[in-house]
Parts: sequence; structure tokens; C-alpha cells
Amino acid sequence: MTEPLLSLRDVRAGYGAGIVLDGISFDLPARGSLAVLGRNGVGKSTLILTLMGYTQIARGRIVWRGADITGQPPHRRARAGIGWVAQEREIFATLSVEENLTVAARDGSWTLAAVYDLFPRLAERRRNLGNQLSGGEQQMLAIARALMTNPALLLLDEPLEGLAPIVVEELAAAIRRMTEQGEGAFILVEQHADIALSLTRSALVLERGRIVHSGPSAQLLADPAALDRLIGLRLAEA
Amino acid sequence: MLSVLGMLFDGIAYGMLLFLMSVGLSVTLGMMNFVNLAHCSFAMLGGYVTVTLMNDAGWPFFATLPIAFVAAAAASVVLERVFFRRFYHAGELPQCLLTIGIVFVSIAAAAYIYGTDQQPVQLPDYLQGSLHLMGLDFAVYRLVLIAIALAITVLLVVTVEATRFGAKVRAAVNNQRMARGLGIDVDTLFAVTFALGSGLAGLGGALAIAMLGLDPSFALTYLIYVLIVVAVGGLGSIAGSFAAAMLLGVADLAGKYYIPAFGSILIYVVMLAMIMVRPTGLFGRR
Repeated sequence: MTEPLLSLRDVRAGYGAGIVLDGISFDLPARGSLAVLGRNGVGKSTLILTLMGYTQIARGRIVWRGADITGQPPHRRARAGIGWVAQEREIFATLSVEENLTVAARDGSWTLAAVYDLFPRLAERRRNLGNQLSGGEQQMLAIARALMTNPALLLLDEPLEGLAPIVVEELAAAIRRMTEQGEGAFILVEQHADIALSLTRSALVLERGRIVHSGPSAQLLADPAALDRLIGLRLAEA
Repeated sequence: MLSVLGMLFDGIAYGMLLFLMSVGLSVTLGMMNFVNLAHCSFAMLGGYVTVTLMNDAGWPFFATLPIAFVAAAAASVVLERVFFRRFYHAGELPQCLLTIGIVFVSIAAAAYIYGTDQQPVQLPDYLQGSLHLMGLDFAVYRLVLIAIALAITVLLVVTVEATRFGAKVRAAVNNQRMARGLGIDVDTLFAVTFALGSGLAGLGGALAIAMLGLDPSFALTYLIYVLIVVAVGGLGSIAGSFAAAMLLGVADLAGKYYIPAFGSILIYVVMLAMIMVRPTGLFGRR
């Protein structure tokens, strides 16, 4: 059996004294893809922030490529190959689009040309400042900026939230292209369960900070009753 | 030389000094939210380094300027590594208490070593006297001062706006958390920026002696002005600091020239008005 890219062992984490996540364990193989689903406020974003090193870990271990990174600060995790697309996008408002892309770029197959190919809109707006972009463009930039660090694992925290349906489709298509051509693994936190499940191989569902379901994405997608029970969402015809 | 143009000229020269002494604080405060009230102590250190090298070692004035920069930068690195870094997450009150304590220590140390008198400084002949242009007299030293400060400003703007180091600094000022999340080592970046900013303050302090004088109260007297520049200019904004420093330099001198009785209050009125109109500063974004 090959070593997983990422594994969490019984992780208990939160902010200060407040515990948000408890007993979280899972493995993600290289090139694996994982959807993290659940209702609002169950700890999905906290899981992403915990992987990035922004929460306090009270118990458990995070192992990345065989090395314990539980106590490592965020910039070391990023340099070790974890890319982060934050929920609030967090574009650098005073940097141009191109500067946003290059400021933290690291060598690899994702270059300026490659991300402009994935998001042609960003190429058109390369001289604009970060605060002059629409919500959809900001989201494209947030994803492209993370890709420019050439991560082995990309964390996407609700990348489709608050966007118009047409933009959601465009971005979902881009994420699909990205995962098809990319070498890396990714974890996708998403309210749009149908899209998230169709983009990933495996899924887990959180409920009050604990994992209440984990299994193949296709299986969950094919079981609307289970989905409804787990996250209370009735899917449109998938 | 009490004409409007003459006053403007002096005000701009004064503003240039304030800019050099405050721009570092603006950037580091914007990046780490660390309140360093001891910033002017680094300026004062630069001043004393220049005085000592000139008067005791016979160095030429210009040769002392790089040493003033390096000495202030080096001192700031030591203080940052030993004290400041432990206080980054400590909140503003502990930061203020720590750094104001360092101000008082620096004042006492300067008084102990140099006494409380104004330090005499003999500028070389070619920096004295004045140039007669368009019916006005321009003090040579102030012209040189403006030229040096402008050159540094250009260098600073190019560094911050057109290099990757500068883009990292702007990214960290803009959103420290995200900068870290992309792999930027904000702590090291901050230490380097802090050293450069303190070095500029040291240079400003060295250049200031011939115009503002130097005694141990320098660290506190000009702290007020530097804080006004930072507040009016907006955190982390070089253009804002520059504009605010010019405004303050001219307003302060204009007040003292034209309405001496009210002069020293005028700048505070200007600052209050500015803060009420634009709470985030001239160019500030938060």
C-alpha cells in the first residue's frame, strides 16, 4: 500500500478554547479528490483552516507525505505543497491581477500562461487591481493564485458560493479541466453538493464537527435519500 | 525669507525629513499592526552616530550618513529579535507600554552619554550659505536635503511598486493571513522591512540635525509628528506618508511664521480635521 499524501488521525481542533472539530480521521491519496459536505456551521471551513494551520489543534496528528506537520505554521505548509483558496477569496486588493498571481508563485507546470489559458478573463484583466474585479473574477483569481504555487494538494473552500449560476457553471467546468490536467489532489468544500460530488472521487459529510458519513462520491450522488438525510438538501436531477 | 515661496521651500525640506522619519513606521505598522513608538529613537540614534563620527572621529558629513542608516537598522533588528517579536500578538496596550519604555530608556541613555545640550554640528562649507535664484535665497543644505529625500523616495517607490519583494510587502500589508497561506514568510519579511524602515529613520535623524537640532528629547518631540504623518497618511501607504509629511511640514512652518501665537496648535487642528474627513488617512484603505 502506498503512503497517503495527507492523513488526519483523530484531530480535535478549534479556536482558543472553543472546539469545533472532533475525532476527524481520513486519508487522501496522491491525486485523490475529496468533497467535504454538510450544513452551515458544521466545521467545514474550520477543517480547511486546520489543514492550513490557522486553528489550535488540541489532539491528534496531521501527517503530510509521511511527516508530522501538526505544529507547522501556515507558510511552511504552503511551501510544502498545500494550496489554499480561501472562502472569502481574500484577493490582495492593492496588487494587480498579475501581481496577485506572481507574488507567491513557485516553479512547476502551472505558469502564468497556463492559468491564463484556464481563465482567459484574467488575462484580459491582468493590469487591473484586485479590488476592481467582479465576484466571479475574484474567485477565478483566487483559484489561479493558488495554482501558481503549484501545490500537490489544493484546498477549495466554497469556491462557487455567492456566484451567478452562469459563473458557477463556468467555474465548475474550469475546476474539472484543472483536475483533469493537474497532477495534484484536491479537497472541495461546497454547498452545491451535486457539483461537488460530480467533481470528486470520495466524499465525507460533517455534522457538528464530526464525520458522520464517508464513501465514494458517486455512491452518495446516486442516493438522494441519504443525501437528504445527511445534509438536508434535495438535489435537482443530477 | 518670509515670502510664501520661501516658507513653502522650508516647509518642503522639513516635510522631507518627516517623511524619511515616518515612512518605515507606516509600512511596518500596516503590515504587522505593531505599534512601535520607539521609531524616533532610531532616528535619534542615527543623529548621534553622525554627530559622534563628525565631531570625535573627524568624518566628513556625507560619509556618516550610511553608517547612521546601518546603525539604526542594526539596533532595530536587535530590539525586534529580543523584544518586539514577543509582543506581536499581545495587543496594542502592551506594545505601547513596551515601546514607550524603550523611548524613555533611549532618552536617558542619550542624556547620560551626550548630556542634555543641543549637539553642535559643523556642516562642510559647501553645504552652507544659500543660492540666489529668481529673486529668492535657497539654503544650500535644504536643497541637498530635498534632493536626497526625493532620490530615496524614488528608490523606495520603485522597490515597493516594481519588485517582487515590494509586491510581497504590499501583499502582507494588505492581508497578512492570506500572504502566509500562500507561503510568504511574513515574519522574515517583516524583520527585513522593519530594519529598512528603521534605517531610513536613522538617516532622517542624521539629516535632521542641521535643521532641527539634536538633543535627547528628539525621540519624543518628533514622535508626535511622525505619528501624525502615519495617521494622516494612512497605514502602509508610501504615497500617503509622503503627502501627509509635506502637508504637515508646510502647515507647521506656516503656522509658526504667520500666526506664531497659535502656530504650534495649528498642526493638531489640521490633523483633527483630516482624521474627521478621512478616518483611514489620505490614501489609507482601512
